[in-house]
Amino acid sequence: MKLRWNPIVKKDLQVTARSMRFSWGLFAYEAVLTMTFLLALTMIQQMSGSFYSSSNVYSSLIYLFPVLSVAQVCIVALIVPIITASSISGEKERQTFDIMLTTCMSPFSIVLGKVMSAVLRILFFVAAGMPIMALAFVVGGLSWSYLFYFVLTIILLALLSGGIGILSSAICRRSITAVILSYAFYFIIYILTFLPMMIKGFVTQADNMGESMLFLLFNPIIFYEEFFMQLMTSESLFGAANFARDDVGFITYHLSQGKIWMFVSAGCILLLSVLLLLAAAWKVNPMHSSSGGKRRKK
Amino acid sequence: MGIHMLYINDLTKNYGSFTAVNHLSLHIPEGDLFGFVGPNGAGKTTTIRIVCGLLRASRGSVRIGGTAAAVGSKEMKRMIGYVPDFFGVYDNLKVREYMDLYGSMYGMYSRDIAKLTDDLLELVSLSDKKEVYVDTLSRGMKQRLCVARALLHNPKLLLLDEPSSGLDPRARVEMKELLKNLHSMGKTIVISSHILSELSEMCNSIGIMNRGQLITAGRIEDIMNQLSGGKRIHIQVASGMETATRVLKEQVGVSIESVRENEIVMLFSGADEQISALIGCMIQNQVVLTGFYREEGSLESLFMQLTGGGAQ
Repeated sequence: MKLRWNPIVKKDLQVTARSMRFSWGLFAYEAVLTMTFLLALTMIQQMSGSFYSSSNVYSSLIYLFPVLSVAQVCIVALIVPIITASSISGEKERQTFDIMLTTCMSPFSIVLGKVMSAVLRILFFVAAGMPIMALAFVVGGLSWSYLFYFVLTIILLALLSGGIGILSSAICRRSITAVILSYAFYFIIYILTFLPMMIKGFVTQADNMGESMLFLLFNPIIFYEEFFMQLMTSESLFGAANFARDDVGFITYHLSQGKIWMFVSAGCILLLSVLLLLAAAWKVNPMHSSSGGKRRKK
Repeated sequence: MGIHMLYINDLTKNYGSFTAVNHLSLHIPEGDLFGFVGPNGAGKTTTIRIVCGLLRASRGSVRIGGTAAAVGSKEMKRMIGYVPDFFGVYDNLKVREYMDLYGSMYGMYSRDIAKLTDDLLELVSLSDKKEVYVDTLSRGMKQRLCVARALLHNPKLLLLDEPSSGLDPRARVEMKELLKNLHSMGKTIVISSHILSELSEMCNSIGIMNRGQLITAGRIEDIMNQLSGGKRIHIQVASGMETATRVLKEQVGVSIESVRENEIVMLFSGADEQISALIGCMIQNQVVLTGFYREEGSLESLFMQLTGGGAQ
């Protein structure tokens, strides 16, 4: 069987590649990454005394990798919702979405196509940032496989951010509202997932945290903290916390042992991304009453 | 009689307490060029959107080509080509790529799309625009391109929602010719429009909607005959007015409306062939005729009569 491109991915990439906005976006991405690199280098230099005299300069330089990676993670987390939040609402604004829905593409294929094109665009950005990332590897001490794992996590983050963006886009008619809603979803996932733990720990002052930390499995901040900790120190964030059996609930205790938290967290983020895509597909399906029940303004 | 290409039964669409389409039943035979007429808010667009699978009906059923496929299913989508009233444009996409995009969305292979694109662009007179960016085309060209796009997967039914809105007179004529051409190729076409004169020129049957209800549907001549009680015929008589009146009164299906100095206006409910027999009968009775013509009823007057206005 011949493998076929999702037509939306093909079209989006074609259109993107021809736009000056994409080129300027790449330029801005590179510029931010370069600035971060120079800033990090300066700070490492200052902390290490002199570049050529300090004995620990090389070991310090490997920290360029997490610094640059975090910078990329932040940029990706910020720009993916902007790309995806305007994808479906943009089609609605152009009035091309109706035609798309009358074709043989299922709502899920449309939504998936939009997210995949965003993920691919992000991979272009990441690829463009590779020469700067490579500078962190010049002095050694880091394995090239780290870069591969990092790209995998970026795809995961792009899927989650894309899922959030596409759901917002499916809900809202206007792109700008969709972008705002995306960041509201971000607030829920990035900030409110800490809330159960904080309530348990600070408000009720309970000795046993129970399973309140499980919400953090969906939090990309904790995921990346765990990822970089394991990569750079071979330690686990939760392992370092060294929870006693009575401090936390049964599931949390077992997840915090060893290094499985990160993998379970990756699975949870992937699952959340898929659920967001399914919700977006359900929302754009005209045969569903809530979307098919609104009057069209001419 | 052929199969019904579009079979709508008891279709209703409610938006809360507002009923956009109210118990609409309509059967359109294969090969028809059917015009949907109605004032704004009559429910034409809602009906078309339900048929296309863009809206869920509150009640009723839609069948296309005699199949029992559900609205919104892939099988049904393959049978429909939809042209909306507004042509959305992607920046930085060429005409050929635009066709390729939608062909791929119907699961067609690039090689087939490329061949069909050539044929369809020729049909809509856009062959020379194949490598031109879509956003640089004129509105009329875009609308023709939209028709070509809708025909790419060879649908059985073409649905056009006010395709001429916003077009200049020349583009309207081109669109009309294109649709006539497609009709002559045997395509079943449903077109909604406000421009009644245009519809009366190209459609062979119409459906008049008002406030969500289908007031009447059928062949234009049949509807006009039904409403006016027959064909209105003017006969100019030079001499033998009394004889002419007597002869006409003796004929079946004739109802004399008025008799003036040298003109008789009558309504005739018989077939067209019977009109010549009627004239022959008057001549045999020594009536000298100087003129004879059949009054053409207009779609505008018919529409006004049925809805109380609202269209161009």
